[in-house]
Order: sequence, then C-alpha cells, then structure tokens
Amino acid sequence: MTAPLRELVVGPLRAMRRATFWWSVGLASLVGITVAFWPAFEGSSGISAAITQLPAGVVQAFGLENFGTPAGFLRGNLYDFFVPLLLAAAAVVLVNGQTAGEEASGRLELYLAQPVDRRMVFLGRAIATLVALAVITAVITAVQLGVDAAVGLQIESSYLLSTIALCALLAVFHGSLALAIAGLRGRPSLVMGIGLAVALAGCLVVALFPLSTVLASWQHLSPWDWAFGGGPLEHTTEAWRYLALAIPSVALAGIGVMAVARRDVAAA
Amino acid sequence: MSTADVVVRIDGLVKHYGKVEAVRGIDLEVRRGEVYGFLGPNGAGKSTTIRCLLGLLRPTAGRIGAFGLDSTRDGVALRRRLAYLPGELRLPERRSGMDLVASIGRLRGGFDAARRDGLAERLRLDLHRPLRDLSSGNRRKVALLLAFLADAELLVLDEPTSGLDPLIQHEFLVLVREACAAGATVFLSSHVLSEVQRAAARVAVLRAGKVVAEGTVAELRGRARQRIEVWFEDQAPAAELRSLPGVVDPIIDGHRFTATLSGSIQPLLDLLARHQVSSMLVEEPDLEEAFLDLYGGAA
Repeated sequence: MTAPLRELVVGPLRAMRRATFWWSVGLASLVGITVAFWPAFEGSSGISAAITQLPAGVVQAFGLENFGTPAGFLRGNLYDFFVPLLLAAAAVVLVNGQTAGEEASGRLELYLAQPVDRRMVFLGRAIATLVALAVITAVITAVQLGVDAAVGLQIESSYLLSTIALCALLAVFHGSLALAIAGLRGRPSLVMGIGLAVALAGCLVVALFPLSTVLASWQHLSPWDWAFGGGPLEHTTEAWRYLALAIPSVALAGIGVMAVARRDVAAA
Repeated sequence: MSTADVVVRIDGLVKHYGKVEAVRGIDLEVRRGEVYGFLGPNGAGKSTTIRCLLGLLRPTAGRIGAFGLDSTRDGVALRRRLAYLPGELRLPERRSGMDLVASIGRLRGGFDAARRDGLAERLRLDLHRPLRDLSSGNRRKVALLLAFLADAELLVLDEPTSGLDPLIQHEFLVLVREACAAGATVFLSSHVLSEVQRAAARVAVLRAGKVVAEGTVAELRGRARQRIEVWFEDQAPAAELRSLPGVVDPIIDGHRFTATLSGSIQPLLDLLARHQVSSMLVEEPDLEEAFLDLYGGAA
C-alpha cells in the first residue's frame, strides 16, 4: 500500500477510534448482560409454558421458538433482531460520518484539495469503516464466547461464529448501501435515512411477512432472510448466504466509490 | 505572451447550481510568477471559480485549468502542483496542528520539518495544541502554513488573511513575495480590497458571476472617481464646467466649483488652463471607490 493510500485509511480509522470503542462497548455489554441471564432461563418450564400461550405468529415474529434452549434464547434475545440491527446501524452511522458527514461539514475539502484521487479518498474511508466493523465484531465474539463459558451456555461454536459473521456481513451490506448513497448524493440526512430505513424494513419484512400467506414468499427479498433464513444458530450455513451478502456489498461500495468522482463536492 | 507564461487559464467558465447561475462566463489568464487578485463581493462567484479550478466542482460549460492541465480530467496532476487555502476553513477538531500537517504531508509526499518549524515560528503558531482549542485566527494560520509548506508552483488563496492580526497579515505579504521570488504564482481571492491592493499586481473584479473589470491596480485606480475642488479668481465658468465629460454632481457656488470626476482629468485641466485659478484640490483616487463603483448595486 502506498503512503498516501495508507494515510487515507489510517487517518479515518484514527478519527473513528472513539466511535469504534463505544459501539464495541455498547454491543458487547448488550451481549454480555443478556447471556449472563441464561442460567435464570435454562430449564425454566414456566417461561416456555408462557410462550406457548402466545399466538404462533407472535412467537415466530419475535423469534421466541425454543426460548428455553441456548439457540432459541440467543435468537430471541440477540441475533434475530438487536445485534444485527445495531451492527447495521453502526455501519451506516460510521460510513455516513466518514463520507457525507465530513463532506457536508466541509472537512473533506481539505483532503480532496490534495493530489489524491477522490475515489481513493472514499475507498480509504470504506476500508477504514470495514476495519472498525471487524473490531466491533471481534469484541462481540470474544464477549459472547467468554460469557458463554462463564455461565455454561452450551452452543455449537461454529454455529455461533457463523451467526456473528452473518451479522457482520449484513452490517457491511448496509454500510455499502450508505457508501453508495454518499457517493451519489453526499447528503448526510439521505444517507442516514435510507440506510437505517432499509435496515429496519428488511428486519420487519422477515419478522412480519411470514405471518401473511400473501406476503410470505416476499420475505426472501430481504437481506435479513439471506443472512438468517437458514437458522444459523441451529444449522450449518450454506455458502451462498455469505455470497448473497458479500457480492451486492462489493457492488454497492463500487457504485459509491465511482459515483463520487462524477459529481460536485458540496461546500461547507 | 507565450503559452508557457500562462499558469491559470479560464475559458468561458459557466457554473450553475440548479437554476442559480453562480458563474456566467469567465475568461482570464494568470501569468507565471505574478500575484493575481480576484476581487468581488460575497456571492460574486470567486469561491465557485476556485472550486472549479481544484476539480471540486464540474463546470457547466467552458474550461478551467492550470499548467495546461484540465481541472476535471487531470485533477490529481494539477493539484500536485498547487496548494490551496480554503475560504471556509473546516479543520478536524480532535487533531493537533502537528498531526494534521503530518497527515497532509503524507498525502503530498512529505514536508520539510525544518521549514515547517520555521513557518510556525514566523506565524507565531503552536502546532502542538488540538485544533479545537485554537482561535479562528490561529486555525487560519495552520491553513496558511499548510499552503506555504507545500512549496507549490501555484498558490490558490481564498480570503487568506481573514481573522489574522496586522502583524501576521504583514508576515503573510512577506511570504507571498518570497513565494513569487521563488517562482510561484499566486491566485489571491478576496472581498477585502486592501488585502489585494497590497499584494496583487493585476486584478479581476467579479460581479454576479462575471468579470466586470480586469487590469493592473494602477489602471483600476485610474478609473476611480476623484473628488475635485477648484477656486477661480473670477466667477466659475458654470456652463463649461457642467459640460465637461465625466463630471458628476457639480456644485458651482460663485468662485468655487466642486464635483466628482470619473475618467480622465485632462479635459478639466484643459479648461482650467484657459482661466485664472487661485487654488485646486484633487483627492487621491481611492481604489475602494473604484471597487464600489464596479460592484454597483451589489456592494
């Protein structure tokens, strides 16, 4: 990597240190505290009985099936909704902060006025955000495995790692979408609005569409279905699910990086 | 003038933001080694033109570039040879000045540490403080330091002395002269006339996206309105005085004649030569007035 390109990655990475730290702390705390409650749920026939009283659709929508098992507990409390949504939000917020946010504030101009290709500036920021997401994901994984061992939550580690990897890939997909919008338009409100709306909509589609016989088949349009449709905490994940998230992510990031060179840079 | 002598060339530059016509057809050339003043009120199109030159904006029509390079097509190569001081200065808050200088240096292939420290000393700037703790004047000093540290062939300075104290403004002028002596060309944009008047040899005045005047500072001063007052030995020749070309708002009161004169003073001198004049006062033409005349309603 050349010195300018290294600077275009390392500079934004340093600027994201605090955000990366606090997203890591927040998500790791959510995972750690939630898993710490596992002994209270383990083998609790009362909670399982209460869940069976709920309508089947509600149980399915909120991922409460098998709530008394380790996989069901983790799905319902963490990996069906909270962790992937918060990780996707982190990706959108970080990408927005490094691209459209910097552009709207006028700080990007200082760098774009240097002898560097605008596409390289965006590519550097995309790589930096990817590294930040990798750090957050690594912290979540470490805390999950550590607390699992401490409280005796027994789950196949390969399933757990697949699930967390799919969460990270889903976040990368939304981060790439944010990068594409930032490259095309560069307006922070647009990047945040579309990025977060797509994440939330995708989540709601997989949660609610299966409840309707008319809409059920449309759930497969959601990236959330591509990621978690195979039940990664209970089954081996098919390779195509990783690719289904990775390929559009690369394409969207490519659109963002190329598009930014073909438009005006906003003034402060 | 040979092509090699022209550093910045702007041909029919037009830039629209939607329905807003920010620049409406600018043509100009900046020659090697000169300080070229780019004057105009806020919103005249100065910063838009500069942002087009840097490749940050894509012209709606026309061409803009430097060193024979096109700003849109050859942006990286062009920016390698120029340094830019933005008018609207936004710096990363959490970094120190030293950290920012090092970062920009890595993007430009490295800065000379001794020159960096020397410039910081001349500008009375502490580079070790976080940028968020610096006053607006000190932040501008950081940007000035970055611009002069780059050792570029072309310096593009947008409102460079805004917020600087008089001592540093003087140091800025010295730095500009040093850069020119070393062969650099300076494109100096400002809405503050005194700033350009002190530094630039040639100026272009912009109004509403068009160049309304271009020439040397002396030429511009020649177009300035001059206030004149003449005392005649006898009654002032009212009819002749009123018919003089360029006379504005004449007041004839017995022996005394006062007026504002635009353009050449020669017709007045010819008239006075035919009469007995006891005293005469011509005020130094103020470039500020010429500037305001050119601004017209926009000032």
